Amino acid sequence: MSHSTVPRGTTEAQTSPQDDGGTTGTTKGPAPSGKGGRGPRAKKAGRLAFRIRWRRDRALILMTVPALLLVLVFNYVPILGNVVAFQDYDPYLSENGFVAIFESPWTGFEQFERIFADSAFWHAVRNTFVLFLLQLVLYFPVPILLALLINSVVRPRVRAVAQAVMYLPHFFSWVLVVTVFMQIFGGAGIIAQTLRRHGYEGFDLMTNPEIFKYLVTAETVWKDAGWGIIVFLAALSSVSNDLYEAAAMDGAGRWRRMWHVTLPALRPVVALLLVLRVGDALTVGFEQLLLQRQAVGVDASEVLDTYVWWNGIRNQDFSYAAAAGLVKGVVGLGLVLTANKVAHLMGEQGVYKK
Amino acid sequence: MTPNAASSSGPSRRGFLTSTAAATAAVAVGSPLLAACGGGGQEGRKEGTTSGKEAAKILPAFVASSVVTPDIPAKNGSAVGFTRAIPTAELKTSVPKTPGSGGKLKIMSPFWGTPPKGDNPYYTAMNKAVGVDVTWQNQDGVTYDQKLGAVLASSEIPDVVVVPGWNLMGRIPSAINAKFADLGPYLSGDKVKDYPNLAAVPTEAWQRGIFGGRLRGIPMPAPYVTDIAPLYRKDLFAKKGYTVPGSPDEFLAWAKEATDAKSKLWACDDMKWTAFNVFGVLSGGDKALWWNLEGDKLVNRVETEQYLEALEWTRKLYAAGVVHPDAVQGKAGGDAGNRFTAGEVLVYNQNVSDWWGKTAEQRTQNADFEMEAFDYFGPDGGDPTLWAVQPANIFTFVSNKASEQQVKDFLALCNFCAAPYGTKEFMLTAYGVEGTDYTVEKGLPVKTQQGVNEVNGAYDYTGNPAPYIAYPDLPEITKGMVEWQQRMGAFTKKSSFFGLTVTEPARWSNLADDFEQLEDDVVRGRKKISDVQQAVSDWRSRGGDGLRDWYRKLLDDNGSAD
Amino acid sequence: MKKPGRWSAPPRPVWEEEPSRAGQAGKGLALGLACLAILFPLWIVIVTSLQTKKTIDEAGGLVVIPKGITFVAYQELLGGGQVQRAALVSVGVTVVGTLFSMAVSVLCAYGLSRSGSLGHRWILMTLLATMFFGAGLIPTYLLVQALGLTDTYLALILPSAVSVFNILVLRAFFMNISQELVDSARIDGAGEWRILFRIVMPLSRAVIAVISLFYAVGYWSAWFNASIYLTDQDMMPLQNVMIQLVQKQERPVGLSAQINTGQLSPLAIQMAVMVLALLPVAVLSPFVQKHFKKGMLTGAVKG
Repeated sequence: MSHSTVPRGTTEAQTSPQDDGGTTGTTKGPAPSGKGGRGPRAKKAGRLAFRIRWRRDRALILMTVPALLLVLVFNYVPILGNVVAFQDYDPYLSENGFVAIFESPWTGFEQFERIFADSAFWHAVRNTFVLFLLQLVLYFPVPILLALLINSVVRPRVRAVAQAVMYLPHFFSWVLVVTVFMQIFGGAGIIAQTLRRHGYEGFDLMTNPEIFKYLVTAETVWKDAGWGIIVFLAALSSVSNDLYEAAAMDGAGRWRRMWHVTLPALRPVVALLLVLRVGDALTVGFEQLLLQRQAVGVDASEVLDTYVWWNGIRNQDFSYAAAAGLVKGVVGLGLVLTANKVAHLMGEQGVYKK
Repeated sequence: MTPNAASSSGPSRRGFLTSTAAATAAVAVGSPLLAACGGGGQEGRKEGTTSGKEAAKILPAFVASSVVTPDIPAKNGSAVGFTRAIPTAELKTSVPKTPGSGGKLKIMSPFWGTPPKGDNPYYTAMNKAVGVDVTWQNQDGVTYDQKLGAVLASSEIPDVVVVPGWNLMGRIPSAINAKFADLGPYLSGDKVKDYPNLAAVPTEAWQRGIFGGRLRGIPMPAPYVTDIAPLYRKDLFAKKGYTVPGSPDEFLAWAKEATDAKSKLWACDDMKWTAFNVFGVLSGGDKALWWNLEGDKLVNRVETEQYLEALEWTRKLYAAGVVHPDAVQGKAGGDAGNRFTAGEVLVYNQNVSDWWGKTAEQRTQNADFEMEAFDYFGPDGGDPTLWAVQPANIFTFVSNKASEQQVKDFLALCNFCAAPYGTKEFMLTAYGVEGTDYTVEKGLPVKTQQGVNEVNGAYDYTGNPAPYIAYPDLPEITKGMVEWQQRMGAFTKKSSFFGLTVTEPARWSNLADDFEQLEDDVVRGRKKISDVQQAVSDWRSRGGDGLRDWYRKLLDDNGSAD
Repeated sequence: MKKPGRWSAPPRPVWEEEPSRAGQAGKGLALGLACLAILFPLWIVIVTSLQTKKTIDEAGGLVVIPKGITFVAYQELLGGGQVQRAALVSVGVTVVGTLFSMAVSVLCAYGLSRSGSLGHRWILMTLLATMFFGAGLIPTYLLVQALGLTDTYLALILPSAVSVFNILVLRAFFMNISQELVDSARIDGAGEWRILFRIVMPLSRAVIAVISLFYAVGYWSAWFNASIYLTDQDMMPLQNVMIQLVQKQERPVGLSAQINTGQLSPLAIQMAVMVLALLPVAVLSPFVQKHFKKGMLTGAVKG
């Protein structure tokens, strides 16, 4: 009697979204998928589908137009500027930087070769992945757990205060975060000084290259975990109480209810964020790492973004920076598509469905 | 608002702005389009430099200023010193009539702080006195390099653009040659006598303003004596009975004795720059200064024994635990100066202008506070060997789209701002309008709150006189600073490429980039000296030797600046 | 029956068990630790902003135990009038920008909430790709200049108006809304616009609040665009002015009167800037949380 699962899809189901492909049920007439099909009849059916789909989806497409326009103008047009990755670009050759693209000499894949031949680049890549995996394991779950924790608090005042406090660190600047950590954990910090006053050796957590990756993760958790709970709270808040009640009626205890109602509510959001995070794997921090570069040395703190900044942007070497950006973009895109595929295999929607 | 104390006087504008090593990387990189090096020639990106006979044709004549006599004359490459405040009635005039034509100029310059409102009394008075209507585009100093790169790539650049030496990397030098006007027709030889204050600017500073074979930049002169000084807490030394160490070994021994981590006291902060000076390492600021002719061979800074010795000594300091832990953090650790004034370190190194800065600041905080710069010692306690730094590091250019009248107006403005201390023009530029921006209390000019907000450094780069130090509120310190420079100047040698603005070939521009990071790693014990030696031999094979040949040819073709 | 105090729990629903002591203690401890880890540094920041230079120097940096209170840092910040003006600019840009971004994003998210619709994948990929490929500053700057947007407030809004991440989150939430609801509306002949406004948006209050918040925070904290595209000081938003004020204190030349009289430390100004930045967050937090009440969207559809 205690094993019935919560019925799905009765009210606003927070279970995985419907898998109906969206093409059935609302059109007047047959709506084949329009893919495949070789025979003439299938082809005609395909053309029909297009016109019908256009009429049906016209409004939807229209709605995406403003965003598309903005993105095309402010993102895609400048992205074309990345063509300088294949040149020895000098923006001051001509009247302005745009014309200079046509007048700068072409160097093909030379910049890319330069990047891939540099051992420091691969070292930075390694650091990036290590940091990414560490943050995935130690940082990614924290907002979820915190959201569940807050969600389980019943007293509204406590919830309000806890949330307000948790959001604050997100607004601290990285400079301040590092300074605060230093004041507490640094060689001359509160803990070290207290130890010294009692006769022990001081220690310095901030300048140790071995534990740097854990330090960075700790700093990230402190700064951003609280802010991260917002999305999850939103997901949790849209679970209707009726579901909990129904589950309780069926004999589900507290933990059971969490397993069958609460967690499934979070699944789609978690999947989406996870896929996006994987796609963004190559970005593990920039300002935070730059600030502490001198403290722990390049070996411990160099990641892709700081590597590109140090070698390309700082020297105003635009071709180099563009090439590195392209490499990062291609890899990131590949990662997100792969992660999405994995998400599909696990029954989640991920970023988009096939 | 609390009333002003009798301070806030003589600005030494260059003090704040002189680059420390971390900021400078005055590597000018041209494109390989023109492989020829050196010499004058056409526009376009040019590698190389201009010196010797070619330069003599373009450099302005030098006519020392006779308007004001400094209290302490310059010697050995030091700045001149002014120890007393000149009363308003005795101020001289170096610019007899309004020089400008009343035209407009748009000036883009880096700015740290809050720009004042455009129509404030200071700007109005300056515009009137100079006869030029300036529209300021004060860009945030933090993002200046990116903004500069972007603005120069557009077709609309402001009439006047300031380019600090540390922004001279990547393709910027080619922008300078392509977009900025040649000032030679207005300033070369005797033509500069139309602008008497500019004629008083030392020739070696002008030499630095030659880009692409033409005189393009108005330089901001700086003393060639090293700008970094080791500063110590004289009051705390006296209290504990310490004497200033006279050799690296003595320093290390003293530091170990003086450090008491339990009471939050460490002997010193990061001393890398002191080490470089103590061990006679070639100057690390400008890339061209890394080379020196020894015997028949050009040797680079990183190849010298002194370089390794300096790093080793600094490493020993860190390893002995005498360096403040926050210094290990580098910039993220906060300001070494704050640790110094808090009494947590007894010695630190910084631009010598901090001697005045920190003293002035602490005067009302800590009556006992006293600090001084101590003299550099040699590696075995004797006289040190110091290397000269560049005599100018910040340049101001005029767009080549500006009209002739605008160029003349610009030069008139620079001439006005280059008026020496003790003239009416200087007081207006540095202090603003008397009564509004500053008042004279007990003979010393003191900025009002309004003055502090308005006279905030806008005109810092449009013309400056020969290097000077003027803090009439602390004349003993002024004297101390100048004399320190003079003493250090006596030991200062000029390397082969001193005073030249060299544009290195693009393919080798990043070669030496990693040395600074390596230095930081070695002194903090993360890497070994042998790693440095390995890096040097890598550097040699990846282009260091090629660069050496290139510089050698430059030297042979042009001769050095001296 | 005891009158419920402001901190007490609301009456428990019938079906919910009594919370266990251990469970409550555990939750309390966890929350307490988390909040402490945040409040302690916050305390340091606030305290330091209220100290004189002397105290800060003696402490060698951030101050934990205050010695007296002084408001000079705040006087310096708020006295000049620039902060107020810049705050107005920031408020304006944030409000207009958020409304604009939300309009564009909600429309786009809904337009993509129906997998299989025409061009669905193409549009999605187009948007997604921008998350991975960026542009250098020079091309972006040239573009903004070519469009005549330099030195206008639009330069602070348009280039960053669209966040694909936000659109994807909105889209995910939209797609989670019961398809039956939407489908039945479609069968009844309702147009997409009506479905969006009458059905989807009212059911998405939580996520719309969240994404609005994300956009608002984005606009409010932005400073780089203003730094690059604006030259007129009067147009500068709050973050830039704050940074300038901190820099102003750090200049050894042209020291503020307060530094000369030894009252004001640059560190105190930095901390005061931080506190002022946190104030809006603390104040507006309750409004945001209104949308996260447990089970607020109960029973929108029955049967």
